[in-house]
Amino acid sequence: MKIINSLGTGFIRVVKAVKGIIITWFCFYFLVLTFVYPLRKSLDFTFGSSMITERLADGFDFEVFADLGNALPSILSFFSTGFMITFFAGFLLNAFLTAGLFGSVKKDSGRFSAPGFFSAGALNFWPFFLISLLITFGIIFLFIIIVLLPVSITAMAETLPERSIFLVSLVSGIVFLLLIPVILLVADNSRSFKTGHREVPALKSIGKGFSLTSSDFGRSYLMMLILILGQVVPGIAAILFLPAWKPVTGGGVFLLLVVSQLLFFARLFLKTWRYASVTARMDDILLTNTRGMEIQQVNN
Amino acid sequence: MKYKSGLLAGLISLAAVLQAQIINKTPLSERITGYTIRAVLDADAKTVSCTMEAFWVNRSADPVPDIQMHLYMNAFKSSRTTFYRERGGSPGSGELDRGWIDITSFTDGNGNDLLSLMEFISPDDGNTEDRTVFRVILPEPAMPGDTVFIKTGFVTKLPSRIIRTGFSGDFFFVAQWFPKFGVYEPAGMRFAASGGWNCHQFHANSEFYSNHSVYDVEITLPARFITGSGGLLMSETTAGDLKTVIYRAEDIVDFAWTAWPGYSVVNDRWRNVDITLMLPHDRIKQVDRQLTAVKNALGYLDENVGPYPWPHLTFVDPPAIGAGAGGMEYTTFFTSSSSYFVPSFFYLPEMVTVHEFGHAYFMGILASNEFEEPWLDEGVNSYWEQRIMDHFYGKNSGMINHRLFKLSDIAMGRMNYTRFPSRQASSNAEFSWNYPHGTYGIITYSKAATILHTLEGIIGTETMNNVFREYYRKWAFRHPSGRDFINVVSEVVRKEHGLKFGPDMNWFFDQTIYGTGVCDYKISDILNRRITKPEGPADLSDGASASVDTTGPQYTSIARLERVGELKLPVEVLIHFNNGDEIFETWDGKARYRDYEYQGSRKIEWVKIDPEYKNKMDVNLVNNSMTTIPERTPLRRIAGRIASFTLFFLSIMLL
Repeated sequence: MKIINSLGTGFIRVVKAVKGIIITWFCFYFLVLTFVYPLRKSLDFTFGSSMITERLADGFDFEVFADLGNALPSILSFFSTGFMITFFAGFLLNAFLTAGLFGSVKKDSGRFSAPGFFSAGALNFWPFFLISLLITFGIIFLFIIIVLLPVSITAMAETLPERSIFLVSLVSGIVFLLLIPVILLVADNSRSFKTGHREVPALKSIGKGFSLTSSDFGRSYLMMLILILGQVVPGIAAILFLPAWKPVTGGGVFLLLVVSQLLFFARLFLKTWRYASVTARMDDILLTNTRGMEIQQVNN
Repeated sequence: MKYKSGLLAGLISLAAVLQAQIINKTPLSERITGYTIRAVLDADAKTVSCTMEAFWVNRSADPVPDIQMHLYMNAFKSSRTTFYRERGGSPGSGELDRGWIDITSFTDGNGNDLLSLMEFISPDDGNTEDRTVFRVILPEPAMPGDTVFIKTGFVTKLPSRIIRTGFSGDFFFVAQWFPKFGVYEPAGMRFAASGGWNCHQFHANSEFYSNHSVYDVEITLPARFITGSGGLLMSETTAGDLKTVIYRAEDIVDFAWTAWPGYSVVNDRWRNVDITLMLPHDRIKQVDRQLTAVKNALGYLDENVGPYPWPHLTFVDPPAIGAGAGGMEYTTFFTSSSSYFVPSFFYLPEMVTVHEFGHAYFMGILASNEFEEPWLDEGVNSYWEQRIMDHFYGKNSGMINHRLFKLSDIAMGRMNYTRFPSRQASSNAEFSWNYPHGTYGIITYSKAATILHTLEGIIGTETMNNVFREYYRKWAFRHPSGRDFINVVSEVVRKEHGLKFGPDMNWFFDQTIYGTGVCDYKISDILNRRITKPEGPADLSDGASASVDTTGPQYTSIARLERVGELKLPVEVLIHFNNGDEIFETWDGKARYRDYEYQGSRKIEWVKIDPEYKNKMDVNLVNNSMTTIPERTPLRRIAGRIASFTLFFLSIMLL
């Protein structure tokens, strides 16, 4: 019941903060556009008036790109560098926008305020950046320990049957995936706590994130699992439908873009619902703890 | 030669047994050489102790003073052998790591001890540290028609780092393991100026050139092992902890075998050919993939080249510990390459199986010299592998068939060549060890295959098939050279196309196989100039337009073509006009440029060189077409997908 309450409260809060999600979507879209638009223009320029692009109508054709000759390394370099810069810029942008979103879903009532969104983003940018950075490194470290090392050791062992690599990959992969909700709970609790307690340092917020996660672990984990599974749905839809859709007209390409952006927006909405639900859950826990302390004081 | 009667009788009976017909009704080859080997595998010491009786028949008109034989396992003796000097690295420092072959006795048919007359030679590079070839001066020269018998005892130690041959734990892949005769080439054979032995050292890139032989091989080894070889299993007997298997192989160029307790053995049949597949238990799910691939190759080559003449075929998918033995060919016995999990859209195991099986034809039946003309072996075989893969697994998906991306095997081979930075560093006219700058693989496999696809585009697929049918008919179980192959091409093309391509096809091969130039034709421009004053009658000669409108605006339309590369190949051009007319032009491709000019009310909309994509040698397909109305939708779609992918990636990766 508590889970449903948290999800319900979270949903109400996220609906109220939908303008924040639109701002977030727009910022990310603009960021990606600064990378993709010049890439597209360079492709236009490289292919010039050639009709070889006909061969791209059925999908990606290695041979067509291979024949770009000396232009290919430039395009690949453009793509890889642009992608990396976008990722790092996205990391910074995410710290800012997530701080804004947490600020928006922290309030139980009231309308969305854009100045409030940006002000929360600006106030908590550095702590959110630090929390995201540390948690991301934590995930990478866990991936190395849980997945990469066991699989590498198994692969090097000559005496083991070949299927053991597959089994070890499968088991360690599942363990890693089961740990992901825990890590996200810590990250979300830390950020939510930090939003409500500006005076608390970021590292202390992470500590609080761990303690809040463990204080009601079973229910919080289940709630996080439900929310993550919900987030996976638009991702799966994107993987299943978008590659198979091969529009041949300009209008079709535009429609494809609109649909893919709607799916991305759905993902952002579900992610923000996650923030809001975790925040609501945390508020419940903190309230219960405070009441407990008050009752104890009254009894004393 | 004169022989001691008892020994001679024994050896003659050996020759009689080896010349007998057990597998096929009639001999497929001349059987200039034959081998009877008794081998005992010591699974702990990783050695094979053998006795061998063998013969060589002097079919030439020359008196031959010596014999020359391979001892290829000695390539794994140290890092100073030619093999390791060429490939780098070392066989390992431990006693158990190295591979070698030690001859303990060597006598001729008369019982004369020839051991002291053995002399290691290094005909290719003079490397005195290389002991992969030896010569024995015979007590008396072998006169034309003579048979030289030898009887030898030897111990072969297998190397621990499997490179084609060796052991890993209980896995044994035993190849290049016995002394084998070189090929005596009389004057005229493969255009040789004078008679002599063709017996090359063991090299990093090549190891096959032998006579078609008969092999009777008896192997004794611990009973727990499961064995396979290029021979037909004649008997298997077990005595205590040991078992003895006897194999017979006829008319093949090399004999290899494998032993490992972990094999699963699957039997199947294609027409009259018994197929045996040996693979690790873990990979049993891949049986269908492997058997389908080999049957595809059998059927395709049988139909388009010639019959597979043996009733048996064994192939091995080596376990991960023996992966170094993967992708090798021993005519009726070959190895594929795979792993526990290979996605169903990725046809790498099938490709290796098809390729290695194809060697049964190209080098096995048509026993060219891999050392001297590797393109005739690997290049021709790659051409057929690519045709087979794209035929059975999809024209655009013979290598990868995923809904997000597809890759044809032909395209992959072509890209390997066209994108290789050193593609012009060498022609195909090099011995295998002389290719500079690491060009061996690309020039020998990819460039040669691409050349043959281009030839197919010029002369047509059916003529190409007829070329190979004739090549097979003329040269099966003999030793063709590159020039012999080219002569067959010229002959068949002349027969089917008259003088359309000239009196012979040397112009093609001299530029491609024996040349280093690249092929690149391009459309440099399309011009549509409005004619203000009529300059003459409208061009009606092409017949593309039934009615030419001379009342509206008139244009001089020009398509400008250029030859950028050195190669001069026939070019087909398709010109499309804005009224829907199309004109198909042919250009001999010799000049540096060619303009096609038309006058009339229509304007050129687009021009394509090689519209049917026949010329695979053209290194740049992007400049093969030009349009006045560029179509940007596919690029917009790609950009849109990259944008969506990046956004989803960010949303997943960012907390």
